[in-house]
Amino acid sequence: MRWLLLLCLAGAAHAADTLYLYNWNNYISDASVARFEAQCGCRVVRDYYSDNEEMLAKLAAGASGYDLLVPTGNAVEALIRSRQLRPLDKSRLPSLKNLKPEFLNAFFDPGNRYSVPYAYTVTLLGYNIEKLAALNLPTDTWALIFEPRYLAKLKGRVTVLDSQRELIAAAMRYLGYSVNDRDAAKWNRARDLILRAKPYWAAFNASSYIKELTVGNIWLAHGYSSDMFQARADAKKAGRPFHIGYSIPKEGAVLALDSMVLHKTGRSPELALRFIDFMLEGRNSSELTNLIGSGNPNRAAMRYIDPEFFQASADNRAIFPDASTLGRLEMLRDLDRRQRRILNRLWTEIKLR
Amino acid sequence: MASQRGERLTRLGATAPPTLFLLAFFLVPALIVVLASFQFPGEFGGLAPLADPGDGREHGLTLENIQFFFSDFLFTEIFLRSFVVAAESTLICLVMAYPVAWLIAKSPKQHRDFLVLLVILPFASNFLIRVYAWMIILGPQAALARTLNGVLGAFGFEPVSLLFSPFAVLVGMVYVHLPFMILPLYTNLEKHDPLLLDAAQDLGANAWQRFWRVTWPLSLPGVFAGSALVFIPVLGMFAIPDILGGTRDMLIGNLIKDQFLGVRDWPFGATLSIVLTLCVLALAGLAAWAGKARRTHA
Repeated sequence: MRWLLLLCLAGAAHAADTLYLYNWNNYISDASVARFEAQCGCRVVRDYYSDNEEMLAKLAAGASGYDLLVPTGNAVEALIRSRQLRPLDKSRLPSLKNLKPEFLNAFFDPGNRYSVPYAYTVTLLGYNIEKLAALNLPTDTWALIFEPRYLAKLKGRVTVLDSQRELIAAAMRYLGYSVNDRDAAKWNRARDLILRAKPYWAAFNASSYIKELTVGNIWLAHGYSSDMFQARADAKKAGRPFHIGYSIPKEGAVLALDSMVLHKTGRSPELALRFIDFMLEGRNSSELTNLIGSGNPNRAAMRYIDPEFFQASADNRAIFPDASTLGRLEMLRDLDRRQRRILNRLWTEIKLR
Repeated sequence: MASQRGERLTRLGATAPPTLFLLAFFLVPALIVVLASFQFPGEFGGLAPLADPGDGREHGLTLENIQFFFSDFLFTEIFLRSFVVAAESTLICLVMAYPVAWLIAKSPKQHRDFLVLLVILPFASNFLIRVYAWMIILGPQAALARTLNGVLGAFGFEPVSLLFSPFAVLVGMVYVHLPFMILPLYTNLEKHDPLLLDAAQDLGANAWQRFWRVTWPLSLPGVFAGSALVFIPVLGMFAIPDILGGTRDMLIGNLIKDQFLGVRDWPFGATLSIVLTLCVLALAGLAAWAGKARRTHA
């Protein structure tokens, strides 16, 4: 009987000492995790998703026990409205003061009752600098992936994101609409724009465009800034005869602000709060930029960030957008189920035609 | 009497576990899917409740999902396209697998096990890795595409892209499912009595007649088994079109996957799954009926 009791105690102690983190692929440096583990004397168990919807689907199917999630704004909104999150005890988060005020009070969580900004990415265009220069193409406009006059030179060398929301959003910005406009007529116009450009694209791609850019198969890709940062670094490391660049199209783009939230089914909320505060410390937060190329909402992180990131270049403006660029970035909002179905049919049509 | 009862008990004991397993892990989930196809989608994913939650949220049953399916020919079109791809893959697999299976069946007995092992050897590495390997083989910088485009260029044709195309999808489908065609064919061909062919030859049949009138009809059970093992998985496959496909290669598997992992519409995903299952069952029924008609006719 005693050994059973001991086993239970050990199990309980084990649970309290383990943080279950459910995060994006490749969205935290191993060094940060190791440091946190040493500091708290605990273990961090990591699980990954590559899409907000994938995470929401897993939670909706009953996955439980995750202490901490790092969803994007619209997914935070869905999680809050479905009452899956635990309100934050801010007295436990002294480093909250480090955050830049422009990233607080976002639409999905006024007053930041549930969420703490972690990092952000921008959905933009990544490209092969040498190829685009040789073809005499601009690099700062969505026209590149939508206008046949440019695409004719890039046929079969372009991929776009395999994501309903992101691709429609790019088309909406190019047409001069808000990414959150839900008017069916405007969505139809976006669909027509996409269908006109589609014959020139190689594929809808959500995962392998980093590699395709890096090896030179693809010259232009619609994707996330942190992925483009990685493609650029990989091409450099492999000693390719070309370079990868990326820039935010002048028509505006989608900003994805990812936030740390506590899931209700997590068993170690205390530890999760400690982790949030740890990630808010300047040095730890700076690794999100230095190693992964994420945009950083943390003021205290700035002095630890590699000075290279602050030199004037299109790449850097995509990681730290200036005020006027920031004004042209929009965060996606969640759609209700009827709107999702309309968009779903539109997307199926886009895929089939 | 006692031994009969004992036998019945043994039979029950032997069949109960698999029956229970099928009930618990096949029939019950299938019924849940049928039920889900008549529910409303939950606002944040999952399903809306069946019973009234008392806060004005949607609940209960609806025909909306099946109506949505028929509201646009699009969805039917994806089904038709998927059936065409599955039929093409099955046919190519059959044409490629038959000679291989025949050669293995005809090779000396001591070599056969080794040859069969070679057929299943690719399963030793992960399915996704093998499909990714095709990305490299078909890529524009690989020898294959360069040679082909060199030849095309010499004749003044536009270069073609092998990767991200319906061709790449077909290659992937055939490659992955080929062993499932070879194995049942081999098992069947191995059992053929060589004396039948000798007899046919003695009666004056040439090589083609010996194949077409003796070997082929006898191998039909293997052909049907192999075809089912290729056709049905290809129909539901989503990973290969995702990885190797281009901008027009969405198949029914991708559409169903999107409903669950992309757009939070489980009821519509369930509806699509049910329609797919019904199509496959109808096809299997048709094949069985055709087989029966053949036999009674003969």
